[in-house]
Amino acid sequence: MGEVIVITSGKGGVGKTTTTANLGTALSQLGYKVVVVDADIGLRNLDVVMGLENRIVYDLVDIVEGVCRLNQGLIKDKRYDGLYLLPAAQTKDKNAINPKQMLKLTSELKEMFDYVLVDCPAGIEQGFKNAIAGADRAIVITTPEISAVRDADRIIGILEASDLANPLLVINRIRVDMVKRGDMMDIDDIIDILAIDLLGVVPDDESIVISTNKGEPAAADKNSLAGQAYRNIARRIKGEEVPFVDMDTSESFMTKLKKVFGLAK
Amino acid sequence: MIEENSIKFKGTRHGLSIHINSAYDFDTIKQDLINKLEKSNLFFKGAKIYEIKSNKLTDVQRKELEKIMTEKYNMHVINSEKKKKDTKAENQIFQGIVEGKTKFITGTLRSGQKIDYDGNVVILGDVNPGAQIIARGNIIVMGSLRGIAHAGSNGNTKACVAAFHLDPTQLRIADIIARAPDGDYDRPTGPEIARLKDNMLYIEPYTNKK
Repeated sequence: MGEVIVITSGKGGVGKTTTTANLGTALSQLGYKVVVVDADIGLRNLDVVMGLENRIVYDLVDIVEGVCRLNQGLIKDKRYDGLYLLPAAQTKDKNAINPKQMLKLTSELKEMFDYVLVDCPAGIEQGFKNAIAGADRAIVITTPEISAVRDADRIIGILEASDLANPLLVINRIRVDMVKRGDMMDIDDIIDILAIDLLGVVPDDESIVISTNKGEPAAADKNSLAGQAYRNIARRIKGEEVPFVDMDTSESFMTKLKKVFGLAK
Repeated sequence: MIEENSIKFKGTRHGLSIHINSAYDFDTIKQDLINKLEKSNLFFKGAKIYEIKSNKLTDVQRKELEKIMTEKYNMHVINSEKKKKDTKAENQIFQGIVEGKTKFITGTLRSGQKIDYDGNVVILGDVNPGAQIIARGNIIVMGSLRGIAHAGSNGNTKACVAAFHLDPTQLRIADIIARAPDGDYDRPTGPEIARLKDNMLYIEPYTNKK
């Protein structure tokens, strides 16, 4: 029996789809059977980010309406063993399904997979309500910007009221140099306001833009800092204790000098 | 032209108030009322009539007018006993700021959540920006107050707002509203309390931290 995890944020554009794709990839690489579900009906993106756009025949709405069987709608990713995608419909909108139907679908998926990752649309209306129906856990994504944190706080309030207590936090697109200058909120400020457990921090990385355009999730790229962060998050989801990466890649001359003499680590 | 000047409808917080010009005789008054109601009977359907103001109407005449309104036009006339009780209960400014009913809330109040209580409120947690607390009494936040707090909401100017970290987006006591200065300002370093003095909001520390 698997786990249904919904990845939500409130604010749009903070990295829900990117996180879903990368976490799904990373978890499958750890040997688990994973399905990533796109719940953003009408504005689907998960298929593009995964690079599986041109293999879609049936989608979520087709399955829920009984046009096809569940197995016909699932797309097996040929690059990563154990990873499947359930795409959303592009020609409908978020009123095409209701929470009860979503619950039934995710319950079926739970029987077949170790992890069911649901990519939630932005907002707090029908799309959001559909996506959280049937979720066992929630991951809230935010960027270190005051508007994103406000919306994340609202979403956490709604999740807590919907019995999805203790959501986990992922802070995305953090820029260490800006934090050091005091131009960007730092991790402690964000946790101070949101008051939930931190699951991971992902740095702002050019490789995400490149990987999205290519349709190859960064979690499979050994050289990507963001990919490494996502791999760590996947390990934490399965229960492993992984220390938080020191993202400071620049070193001052004095620090380098000190290292030579063994006075700094 | 039909004269309808003997009757004037006025809207109040408690319902519609009918002012009757006693210079006219009762039959004219009755006819004017019927004409007015007939003209816009959909508008008045289900309307709450709080009082009929007139110097010269007798009780019998008053009752007759009320009968017309309730039976023919489906309006509700609030009888005077209930009226007195409602006014009393509503108008009574909450006085229990030294000793009075208090609601205790544990946990963080998140953006979009609202508390509206007719007493004092104590939050054992933070109040995040976007959250709102409205209390007729005091508001005490045992954490950071970053949202909106409105104490003494029904008129008590002696109500106060206190927090371990008083940094709200807006602070209101009775009908005075205040906000933090624009731009960068000194963030609070310890527990502070906000009170009204001569219609101005003052914030000062309330512990003796040296």
